[in-house]
Amino acid sequence: MPKKDHYVIIGNGPAGNSAADAFRANDKDARVTIISDEAFSFFYRHKLPQFVAGNIGEDDLKVRPYSVYKEQNIRLRLGQCVDRIDPEEKILYLRHMEKVGYTKLVIATGGSPRILPSLTSFEKHLRFMTGYNNAIKLMPEIQKAKTITILGGDLISFELVKALRTMKKKIFFIFYSKCFWPVELTGNMSAKICANMKKKNIEAYADDTVETLTEKGNLYTLKTASGRTFKSDLVCCFLGLVPNIGYIIGSGIDTERGVLVNEFMQTNYKDIYACGDCAQIYDPKLKDYWISIGWSNAGLQGKIAAMNLLGSSKVVKPLPKSIRDVVGIKIQTSWWDHF
Amino acid sequence: MADVDIVIEICGSAGDGTISSGEILSRFMSSQGFEIMSFDSYPSEIRGFGKCVAHSRISNKKVLSPGKYTDILIALNNAHAISQLHTLRETGIVIFDNKPPNYLEEDQSIAGWIEPGMISYGIPLLNLSQKASGSARGRNMVALGALAAIFGIDGEQMKSAIHARYAKKNKVVIDSNINSFAEGFTWAQQHVTKVDSYTFGHSKPKPSKEKKAIINGNQAVAQAAIDSGLHLYAGYPITPATKIMEIVSRELPKKGGVMVQTEDEISAIGHVIGAGYAGKRAMTATSGPGFCLMSELANLAVMAEVPAVLVNSQRGGPSTGLPTRNEQSDLNIALFGGSGDSPRIVLAPTSVNECYTCTTLAFYLAEKYQTLVIILLDFFLSNSIRNITTPVPPKANQLNSNVAPTKTALKDYKRYKLTKNGISPRAIPGTPGGMCISTGLEHSEHGHPRYDRNTHPAMTEKRFNKIQGALSEAPKPRWVGPKKNVDIGVIAWGSTAGSAHEAVLNARKEGINVAFMSTVILSPFPVKEIKKFSEACSRILVPELNYTGQFANVLSPHLSRSIERLNMVTGLPISAEDILEKIRDMAR
Amino acid sequence: MDILKNSYLDEELEAVKKQGFLDYRTSQLPTWCPGCGYFGITHAIVQTCNDLQLKKEEVCVVSGIGCAGRYPIFMDVYGFHTVHGRSLPIAAGIKLSREELTVFAVAGDGDALGIGGGHLPHTIRRNVDITLFLFDNSIYGLTKGQTSPTTPLNQATNSHLKGNPDTPLKPVSLALAYGASFVARCYAGDVDGMKDVFRQAITHKGFSFIHIVTPCVTFDKTNITWGRLNGTVEPIEPVHDQTSFESALRLAEIPRLITGIFYQDKKRPSYMEIIRETQS
Repeated sequence: MPKKDHYVIIGNGPAGNSAADAFRANDKDARVTIISDEAFSFFYRHKLPQFVAGNIGEDDLKVRPYSVYKEQNIRLRLGQCVDRIDPEEKILYLRHMEKVGYTKLVIATGGSPRILPSLTSFEKHLRFMTGYNNAIKLMPEIQKAKTITILGGDLISFELVKALRTMKKKIFFIFYSKCFWPVELTGNMSAKICANMKKKNIEAYADDTVETLTEKGNLYTLKTASGRTFKSDLVCCFLGLVPNIGYIIGSGIDTERGVLVNEFMQTNYKDIYACGDCAQIYDPKLKDYWISIGWSNAGLQGKIAAMNLLGSSKVVKPLPKSIRDVVGIKIQTSWWDHF
Repeated sequence: MADVDIVIEICGSAGDGTISSGEILSRFMSSQGFEIMSFDSYPSEIRGFGKCVAHSRISNKKVLSPGKYTDILIALNNAHAISQLHTLRETGIVIFDNKPPNYLEEDQSIAGWIEPGMISYGIPLLNLSQKASGSARGRNMVALGALAAIFGIDGEQMKSAIHARYAKKNKVVIDSNINSFAEGFTWAQQHVTKVDSYTFGHSKPKPSKEKKAIINGNQAVAQAAIDSGLHLYAGYPITPATKIMEIVSRELPKKGGVMVQTEDEISAIGHVIGAGYAGKRAMTATSGPGFCLMSELANLAVMAEVPAVLVNSQRGGPSTGLPTRNEQSDLNIALFGGSGDSPRIVLAPTSVNECYTCTTLAFYLAEKYQTLVIILLDFFLSNSIRNITTPVPPKANQLNSNVAPTKTALKDYKRYKLTKNGISPRAIPGTPGGMCISTGLEHSEHGHPRYDRNTHPAMTEKRFNKIQGALSEAPKPRWVGPKKNVDIGVIAWGSTAGSAHEAVLNARKEGINVAFMSTVILSPFPVKEIKKFSEACSRILVPELNYTGQFANVLSPHLSRSIERLNMVTGLPISAEDILEKIRDMAR
Repeated sequence: MDILKNSYLDEELEAVKKQGFLDYRTSQLPTWCPGCGYFGITHAIVQTCNDLQLKKEEVCVVSGIGCAGRYPIFMDVYGFHTVHGRSLPIAAGIKLSREELTVFAVAGDGDALGIGGGHLPHTIRRNVDITLFLFDNSIYGLTKGQTSPTTPLNQATNSHLKGNPDTPLKPVSLALAYGASFVARCYAGDVDGMKDVFRQAITHKGFSFIHIVTPCVTFDKTNITWGRLNGTVEPIEPVHDQTSFESALRLAEIPRLITGIFYQDKKRPSYMEIIRETQS
């Protein structure tokens, strides 16, 4: 009896889950496994701030219950980190020293926190919140802190500010219009944000570079280029995501900023596809690579990657160069007015 | 004070230090004031690479049963721990070695098997052990260290407990254990992000002032026997009773007693009867197959009216059956085994504490009523470790309960004199004038063989009547819950009683009108109390670990209502959850 | 004549009573067949008890089942008539509890070598200080004449009408091979010989094994009869070295009715002596 196919998906986000669903829908017999270093279920990332603030519970965070995986016979390996891929032998090396073989592999590991070059030397003092693992770590610290500095940003940083306000914390918000993720903010937008924040008793400053960040007795002192000094109990950093591909580099799979795939989401190995935030997709018309952003895109790509791995040849439609309107949140409606 | 009720299982191979680390954990948590119920299981077949599991329920409330689901599983061996995962709670925790020397093939690491919802903490057990002690033997202590750090157990105090545990060993052993523990503790503090909510930290109960003994059922029986003036122990190795022999062989000679490891179980009970005949207290302990071999001589004790205490720690049967699994299926043979109408006293403790009290009672009753007393344990009770209040040894008047003949009676001594209470004063060899014949043949009052139509009925009746006296000397059946208008009454015996009791308490919290009764004396049967209980209940449930409902069958003729049964023969102890589920079903 | 005869018996009885051994007998009359060898054995045992002046209340006699099993009923000591084959463990249990008691185990050939055969080597190797009187009539008498472990080959019995197909055991050789510290054989027709051996066996510190050969007058009228046995009794020569295991074994293998003490190891400690020395 030939060994069953084993479709492995690295990543438990929207891309990974829709790939798994697509595999299962089209192949009842194969083994389907999702591996994720997050110990928690497939969750809504944009709800993390409210969760950290204690406003919602774990169940509100979950996209779907574990029973769905059981019913679908999809194996979920949570809290397990892939250290290395051997695309020749088709083996994944997990951090806890287990080898997992695959017949087809989908890489959907999303992004990891982006750190501006100017901030790298202060990294150990910064807190991030890209997933459940670091959210749960951050939770007690946030509960304890009275004053919090937030380096923004991205949309989640706004969500967090909103959540922290309900906790009556003192907040300093420094944001960077040029690095704002996933869209750049115009000067007009920045001014509006500052004004709005002020109304809500939040000190907000645009584009003020961090010069130094020091820690003494759990108190962080942050000095900026413009000469401002912020003292706070916690400094959180939200500058969006960069494709999470560290573990792939050197494996033979082509990468650049992300995992390089063609318009069918295929990497340079025929049995390995990548999708979602970690993929850098080639567009034959643009003759260039683009990186996709956002929840629904990721889901769509996951499905396409899986279908193509199973033999179809669906093409991912490149998104407009300006990706302002594809984030899933209607950016153009100046949502911060309602903040 | 928040409720703490956490089940920890340490699972490894023989040689991994599984049982010893479980013991350290239990002892330490007990010293911290927690209630403990622990249970070790280990391979019966060979010493080698069999699976060892140290199961420990730790709570700041009273613990009545071992707990069906594990909250924290410490994997010292992947393959064995994987096979133990089915008992892990859906939100349970696994602590495992995430740095084995080589990459494991797919599915050979427990990490790969963890269901979503469970949480795994990978600790480099081997690396840390090697760092701390230069060998792999400290993995268990590294794991305990990590456990302490992650779940709010005082590391410094636990270190002293480990020190105390190995105090008699050389410095190298002490140091490698302590250092391994410390290494695990520190590493976990620095590297583990706690994402679960289990903790012992916030709810440490007050350590109790009374002295606690941490013992299992076998130890309680052995200790009680020695405290009761045991002179001779005879036994043949058999799981799960062997430990009683091992303890007795260590302790009894110190008291001037004798332990004989006999050639078989027949010889064992023979020695016990000989000693009992000679006026000394004697005991044997066995399990089902050995009990079968003993049944002929056990009947001699009944017929010749010789004291004998016989412990049967039940395991799965029939025949060799399931030597290391739990069952309560020797009730029939205990009550009725052997030829003829053979009345005997049968006691079945329901807890480790009662293992002690039943044993002291057994010696007292056997001597006073000159008959066979069977103590029914089971695999679980034998091996279940509790921290109990140090038991009070029997008083002097309980240490000699033989009814001796008066001088006048010795003038024409009737060994089997028909008396009102059925007890014929017994002359012990060495008593001048008491020479007589004791026999397994039916006999006259003088002990001479008689087969006539009057002797056998009179003597049979005497033997049945005399043990009735034991009823008033044994503990009354325990009644928990309301005394009338009960919807469901649960009657349980042996080790199942603890789980049933817990299930009833939980069912009552859910608003179900349920009451509980258990009895340690099973023969003679406490008909009056059980009848009263059953009349207060509309329905009766009897949970027990046998297929046919042996206890329910004993109860049945005495009750005016039919009995609903929960019979399990999985080889595992019945859990409070199992019984609660059945109660809920009945209440629906 | 009648009067004379009675007075003669009375005198005789008085003389016997004076000797004291009748004190060790109960009023119960033995149920054995007239002419049974067990009468002689009983006689020798009670006489030995009397000779040794054993206190009656300090003697325990434990028996199993069979014709020999009835034995304690006829002795006025602490008698324990137990179940088939188990006299040795029970006797050992008594001795290990009360060292001051003199403990006899009485067993027939079926009792000691058949159903209870498994206890023999172990009681021997523990060297418990008791005396085993093995009443060997080479037949199951109480159940009316079936083959026993010592029934000669080819002898017809009620269970083997065409002859016993099973090779009989050699009790003395067995006891020697098991390592008994006292091994003797007696003949039920020789009361003095028995008394001599019994006295030494009872005073021996350790396990004493006495094989007593006797006919069954009811169920074996051809093979092992008084007539045949009387002619073959052969007491051990005084030159025999009782401390030599090899000589004892050689002697035991001779297929004749050789009687006397084959082997005795007086130095070997009894079980209780060992326990006291090593265990506490």
